[in-house]
Amino acid sequence: MMRRNVAIIGCGQTKHGRLRNVNTAEMISEAAWNAMEDAKVTPDEVEAIVVGNMQGFGGIYDTELWAGELFGAPKPFLRITTGGTTGGSVAHGGYYSVASGLHDVVLAVAWEKHSDSKERGATTGLAHVAMANMFHDLQQGASLKWLVSLVTGAAIGVSAFQASCYMYRSGCKVEHLDMVAAKDRRNAAKNEYAHLRWPNCTPEDIAKTEWVSYPLRFGHVCPASDGASAVVFAEEKIAKKKAERPAWIKSVAAYADEPNWLGENSQGTAITDLSEQLECIISAKEAYRRAGIKDPRKEIDMAEIYQPFPHQELMFSERLDLFDDGKAWIALEEGQTEIDGSMPLDPSGGVISTNAIGSSAMQRVLECALQIMGKAGKHQVPKDVKNAVAHGWGGSVNFTTVAVLGDSPRR
Amino acid sequence: MQRKIAIVGYAQTHHEADPPNTREGMVFEVAKGALDKAGITREAIDTVINVSSDYQDGRTISNLFLVMAEGAYLKDESKVEMDGAFGVLYAMMRILSGTHDTAMVVGVTQGSIFSPHQISFYTLDPTFDRQIGLLNDVAAAAIQARMYKNKYDVSDEQIAMVSVKNLVNATSNPYAHRRIPKPTVKKVLNSKLYCDPIRELNISPISDGACALILASEEKAKEITDAPVWVKGVGNCQDSYLRDRNLLKLESLETAAKKAYKMAGVKDPPTELDVAEVTERFSHEELMIYEALGLCREGKGKILIETGVTERKGQTPVNPSGGALGADPVLATGLVRIVEAAKQIRGEAGKYQIQGVRQALAHGQTGLCAQSNIVFILGGER
Amino acid sequence: MEKREVIKVTGLPIVAGFRWSVGKMMEKFIKSFADKKIIAAKCPKCGYTYVPPRSRCGKCYTKIEEKNLVELSGKGTLTGYTTAYVELDGKGIFLDLDNPKVIGAIKLDDSDSTIFMPLGEIDQKNVKEGIKVKVVWKEETKGEIADILYFKPAR
Repeated sequence: MMRRNVAIIGCGQTKHGRLRNVNTAEMISEAAWNAMEDAKVTPDEVEAIVVGNMQGFGGIYDTELWAGELFGAPKPFLRITTGGTTGGSVAHGGYYSVASGLHDVVLAVAWEKHSDSKERGATTGLAHVAMANMFHDLQQGASLKWLVSLVTGAAIGVSAFQASCYMYRSGCKVEHLDMVAAKDRRNAAKNEYAHLRWPNCTPEDIAKTEWVSYPLRFGHVCPASDGASAVVFAEEKIAKKKAERPAWIKSVAAYADEPNWLGENSQGTAITDLSEQLECIISAKEAYRRAGIKDPRKEIDMAEIYQPFPHQELMFSERLDLFDDGKAWIALEEGQTEIDGSMPLDPSGGVISTNAIGSSAMQRVLECALQIMGKAGKHQVPKDVKNAVAHGWGGSVNFTTVAVLGDSPRR
Repeated sequence: MQRKIAIVGYAQTHHEADPPNTREGMVFEVAKGALDKAGITREAIDTVINVSSDYQDGRTISNLFLVMAEGAYLKDESKVEMDGAFGVLYAMMRILSGTHDTAMVVGVTQGSIFSPHQISFYTLDPTFDRQIGLLNDVAAAAIQARMYKNKYDVSDEQIAMVSVKNLVNATSNPYAHRRIPKPTVKKVLNSKLYCDPIRELNISPISDGACALILASEEKAKEITDAPVWVKGVGNCQDSYLRDRNLLKLESLETAAKKAYKMAGVKDPPTELDVAEVTERFSHEELMIYEALGLCREGKGKILIETGVTERKGQTPVNPSGGALGADPVLATGLVRIVEAAKQIRGEAGKYQIQGVRQALAHGQTGLCAQSNIVFILGGER
Repeated sequence: MEKREVIKVTGLPIVAGFRWSVGKMMEKFIKSFADKKIIAAKCPKCGYTYVPPRSRCGKCYTKIEEKNLVELSGKGTLTGYTTAYVELDGKGIFLDLDNPKVIGAIKLDDSDSTIFMPLGEIDQKNVKEGIKVKVVWKEETKGEIADILYFKPAR
């Protein structure tokens, strides 16, 4: 059957940080309107809206019921939420909405407002996540008191465990994590919308920060940002009319390997290799196949990887088949992953610099689109971007969303 | 539509209050049940959409725990956090895009864990309405019901007749939650008053339940079953927030229905729809739904219920399964409506089967006073 | 097969608290209560007037700025109502109210939104659609939402 080609014709975001001057509805609206203006579409031309955020963090249920009219309601709405990958799933939802033929122009917007929670950082929301993830330990005989004490570990605890697995598997050192963090903070300094921006950050600067949980230092940790990001998807004819250089969606794929940590694979013992990320390998394979990409190392020009912690940039770049398993740190040392390298990773600064959780995975799609469209401003990679891969990660640390974007429609 | 899509299998749990079962157990039951009904295995499913709510489940990313139970291990999957019928829409989009040929949609909510009424409070404007603390879904519906009654001179008895119709229908439905032996208008009018004029038996019960259905593209559907239920049309729309919308009319439902009718080629709903399964969280809502669906003119819903048009033996039976008033497993409710409509087309509705159903309507909603609505038109082989 | 025991866990020793930032327009709106004023946002293009105020018109999509804020008289019309005999306790249980609360849907004069407010100083049998109502403030208003006590019938 004839497959419809879909492209991103406009992107919009808010500046990220602690946004206490606006309420959530206004924040979402700002990103949505920026995207519609960039796409040169009016709200009347937008036929449907796909939204998502992680509800436990904002304390509002189905925010778009209240906020919708500030960016387009009455209109068909669809809410997609998949945890940390929400933004990526929302972007996929926007893609499928147009690819299905049911709509021609769709706005996808994702957001998070961490500062609305009383506790600092994202503690309130993370407590929910941790509680959920450890619920099944109750069935294994853990006591409630013990369970609650685990909550303080939360996402950092899991990621530290994952980082250890990765370092063991690949031979990379803490110094490499410092290098990744420094590179991303330097990149973020070129991105006016990013949260943590450190213009001349060096690995030594990062190494001076305190340990949080070995092998992760304070300088390795992502911030809890407020912010929203939005993209406008359009079908081929409209895309060609509206945008000079649309960012074509060549494929999307999203696979999960939740049992890896939660279920049969480890019987709840957590004796598992969290750096294996089988679902990322499968998502990438499927996405490349659907996109007609045969040799990602030659055909993919850059990647935006979901990396709230630096080891994940190295790890996922390998699982996305951009480097051999365990060899990404060598490419890092050689400067290949710098913004002007042969395989730039996270020229936007990535999640480690800006993390409004619901929106972060969508930002990866948005940033790849900006690069293809040539609109990334100071953090535009100097090379020609013909294909890019946007990655999202979350779930029970084993859910991945992948999107392959390109400068030409899939034939 | 770019491709034809059919429902080829489905299953639901017996909806009840607080059964001794886990969410995972319920999801497994219906996912396996749907596969068995279709006569296929997990391997034949290309993509899975899960519908559940973090707030209802009391934990964040709740849906990730259901991935294994729904048979989505190492499958391309996603989640929708609205009424289950919207999950079916997303699954349809995935198949229509050509990327997938078959999809499983599973919806589950254990309403007993946390009251959906409390959660409706969390959808209010946090900077104003929520601070004042007066409103919830029942109070808002009561204000709407009062406005509707005053404008169109509708009596409490006429509204109660909706409850009676659906509760009577529910007694024939083995999956229904609320089974009241001899529902009468008097019993409804004597039930506990919540917010005038809404009483206990005007409100849907809080149920625990799960539902699953399997969609397939035309080619795959014909391989799988002799009795595919075709999705002829779909439409959805969401209204503005409570303060700035017209409460006297379900406008977004009207828009959604018009879109679905257009896609399905339905020009005269009262004669062309053989049955409708709608989500009525409050009995007065069903009267407003009749009007929004074009089954009668504005304000005339009371005539349909009084003259028995929407009874099981009427011209356009509505909710022969008992509807949401019979069982409301929150996010699974819209999915159940689609499944019940599909059962009618396949002749599998047992004691509440309507004769000669060729075209059916199914409706799901989300939000205060039915703020967001979706309508499906389903059709049989001929 | 051994009997399964159900252990009920009600409530966890974690509280999820939130403090939502309200944005500049809402801040002005709430702070104006100190002066016993109710302000609204009037769309410069189509005139649709929102109360509480907001920064974008949902009807014609025009931006609404601070200069478009207008002051309302505090008087309006009752467009709907209900008497609530129950109230949610915050945990999902409907508690019976000793004194039923009358909730009014009110359209303030010169505005288009409907606000939902308690009604006071009125007999239930006199609550009817179309009656005129007006705001009743606390004696001392501080610029917080609790400054509005209720709405009562206006002559």
